[in-house]
Amino acid sequence: MTAHARRRTQAAATLAAAALLVALPTSGQVDLGTEEQRAGGKIVYDKYCGQCHGDTGDGNGYATPRVQPKPRDFTTGTYKFRTTPNGTLPTDDDLRRIIEIGAPYTSMPGWPNLTSAEVQNVIYYIKSFSSAFENPDRYAEPIDIPRPLESTEESIARGRVVYEEQGCAACHGEVGRGDGPSAPTLVNDKGDPIKVADLTQRWTYRGGPTKEDIYRTFSTGLNGTPMPSYADSLEVEDRQHLVNYVHSLGDADDPNYGTLITAVYSEEPIDLQDGETLDALFESAPMTRFPLVGQITEPGRNFFPSVTSIEAQAIYNRDEIAFRVRWHDLRADTSGRNNPSLEVPMWDEDNGIGGDAADDSGDSDDFFGDFGGEEAPPEDDFFGDSGDDFFGDGGDDFFGTADAGAGGAEFSDAVALQFPASLAPEETPELKPYFLYGDAQNPVDLWFVNLTYGVADTFRSRGSDSIEATEADIVEAVTSYDQGAWTVTYKRRRSSRAGVSFAEEQYTPVAFSVWDGFNRERGNKRALSSWFYVYTEPSVEQAVAGPVLRAALIVLVVELLVVFLVRRRARQQAADEETAAASLTATEAPAV
Amino acid sequence: MWGLNLPVVLVLAAIGGLLVWRRAHTLAWLLYSLVGLWAFFKFGFVVPIPQSVATIYLAITVLALVAYASSGRERLAETVQPIKRLILEPRHRLALAGLLVALPGLAAYNAYADLTMPLEAPGFGREIHPPPPNELTVHDETIDMATAENPYLHYKHDDPELYGKHVENGRRVYYENCFWCHGDGMGGDGMFAHGLNPVPSNFNDVGTLPALQSSFVHWRIAKGGPGMPAGGTPWDSAMPAWEKFLTTEEMWDVNLFIYDFNGYEPRALGQH
Repeated sequence: MTAHARRRTQAAATLAAAALLVALPTSGQVDLGTEEQRAGGKIVYDKYCGQCHGDTGDGNGYATPRVQPKPRDFTTGTYKFRTTPNGTLPTDDDLRRIIEIGAPYTSMPGWPNLTSAEVQNVIYYIKSFSSAFENPDRYAEPIDIPRPLESTEESIARGRVVYEEQGCAACHGEVGRGDGPSAPTLVNDKGDPIKVADLTQRWTYRGGPTKEDIYRTFSTGLNGTPMPSYADSLEVEDRQHLVNYVHSLGDADDPNYGTLITAVYSEEPIDLQDGETLDALFESAPMTRFPLVGQITEPGRNFFPSVTSIEAQAIYNRDEIAFRVRWHDLRADTSGRNNPSLEVPMWDEDNGIGGDAADDSGDSDDFFGDFGGEEAPPEDDFFGDSGDDFFGDGGDDFFGTADAGAGGAEFSDAVALQFPASLAPEETPELKPYFLYGDAQNPVDLWFVNLTYGVADTFRSRGSDSIEATEADIVEAVTSYDQGAWTVTYKRRRSSRAGVSFAEEQYTPVAFSVWDGFNRERGNKRALSSWFYVYTEPSVEQAVAGPVLRAALIVLVVELLVVFLVRRRARQQAADEETAAASLTATEAPAV
Repeated sequence: MWGLNLPVVLVLAAIGGLLVWRRAHTLAWLLYSLVGLWAFFKFGFVVPIPQSVATIYLAITVLALVAYASSGRERLAETVQPIKRLILEPRHRLALAGLLVALPGLAAYNAYADLTMPLEAPGFGREIHPPPPNELTVHDETIDMATAENPYLHYKHDDPELYGKHVENGRRVYYENCFWCHGDGMGGDGMFAHGLNPVPSNFNDVGTLPALQSSFVHWRIAKGGPGMPAGGTPWDSAMPAWEKFLTTEEMWDVNLFIYDFNGYEPRALGQH
């Protein structure tokens, strides 16, 4: 029997079983649709869903090994995003919501192309994968979601107290950056690693960014994950205050990604060691957020990078330019090794993270277990025993040792700025080096900081297989890790003999790479950006009044000239006509 | 729809309709064309097009309008007639004075907006479908780009079961490799698409797959971004050269799959 035929038989069996059940007496909520509807759903499912969720609904499609979080396994009847109480089944509307809008920053997209009927059919089909939907006892009414309270200072302050009392920080971190001590250890009931929500980046919330979404999430919990429901432990009002606190941790629903860093001029010297003055200087420079995605073009394919965006700003004075970048990382991996050319396999079959945890969660029957009550104790050995080989030239044995698991730090966090080694010639301003580490004709310079050491190393790269350390350019760097946020500040002289110079009013291409050691990112396995630009703003503020007046005057002069010419011509014509008429009269006169 | 800001487009269309209905003067049409196009570029798209591109289009439009207005002595006379009357007739004196003040004001505002405008990264045009080479060598096998077709396409009619197997293998290849950028539904909107520039190709688009021969698609798959001529800005493209990772058969299979999924046929030989 071919796989295809087998699937068909299985699906037919499922359908038949489901059809039988429809005939049984049902409570008000059990609605499994008609056979026809489920058959219609199967057609949609097989085309759009099976590649990830598996043709048999077990969450095991072609893409599954390469995505994180893993596609839902529909055979378990466990669903994260629901309006119903913890442990119960979702409503059809809950399923519809995710199908229509998707879950941001996961491999689940929205499907706006499907008609409402198609979505309903596919919901019936999805429900047929789990017998849970046949059991009336597993259903419950959706919870009430009250209107959000106004975000007053008092409400937010009360929410903060609740946040502390309930131990939210254990996973989500002291200021909500997803960096709590437990964060690296979390797995779902299938043993797959769970990334804690970064509460400061609302646009990445899987369940949605609104206050109602937030209220729903901690009133119903995310079934099958360590995120519990607080419906029993918190009064409605306290939950509303908590909503306001969580909401206050981020400043936007959208990431507002930009394309340009504007480097601001300052008279002041730039001293990396004088943190306070440096912070004050950067205060004047606008901050731009850039999207990062996994490097999946070349070997070392990084299908689920940890870091999805980076913020950057720049200042400069007469001689020097400084860049500051900031990103969130669930823990500081500062004991391993890393560099841009570290050897990597095509892709990590077993990504390593959550490896230990996966072992001891073999029996995943307990989907509704109380994850939230007792947090797994945080690993206190983050910087464990992997620090022996900092300078080794290893890199062949990525899969061998067990210490690559949740507690290990075989690879360190790192970051790099990438600039073209030289600016594009004037005739071809669009020409840039290949954004993946440059190419043979057009090399790039990498300002690389391995956060184990916190100093900048420079590399000249002509493609991922041709990266050489350089010393021509002296780049300084200082680094800090604070509550889940890395900040790296670079400084270099503006003019350089070996690399690109930063002249005033110049647009210089720039790209970013970030490595999260926890996610076993190293070498070409990294999060990266496309090319963006740095613009070195003129040091002297441009006068506005002059050009504005000039523009108005020029237009006025042209206008007056046109009016004058038209009128003169009209006068001339009139005069000519008069003369003509007069001469006509004169010539005609004798004839009369 | 098509990335358009519908209300704006509808308002512009309505104004055009009004001009038709009132049998508007040539000058009104010229002004409508210019201002309407400007408004369309500025507000008509959900994701605004780069100003540099809009400026080029507007400049071309101005040239075209001037050429139209001056294409005949009579048309020219007719076009400038209202302007002349405005300048010459005493009863329009107030309107003329107003215009004399308003236009420099507009110019001043424009200059001010220009100077205080938030900066944009420079934008450059690129060829969406750069010209392919005459011959393509993939894994030591050379094909003629003009005549080569997907070797498995004919199974669609000759051997549907075998065709299905190739499509299914293409499905595997696609969802193991492609959907991060090109999207689950192939709308060019995968989970990494927002971080890439140029954005990944949209295979739902009727202007993409049906307009291309399968050999062109094979070329793009096999050689990827690095294999593009300079006009396609190969340095920005995240498209891998898949010949390094996939067998020739896998590449033809995924080629077959993306056509099949969208219900399109490759552009046939010699079809334009």
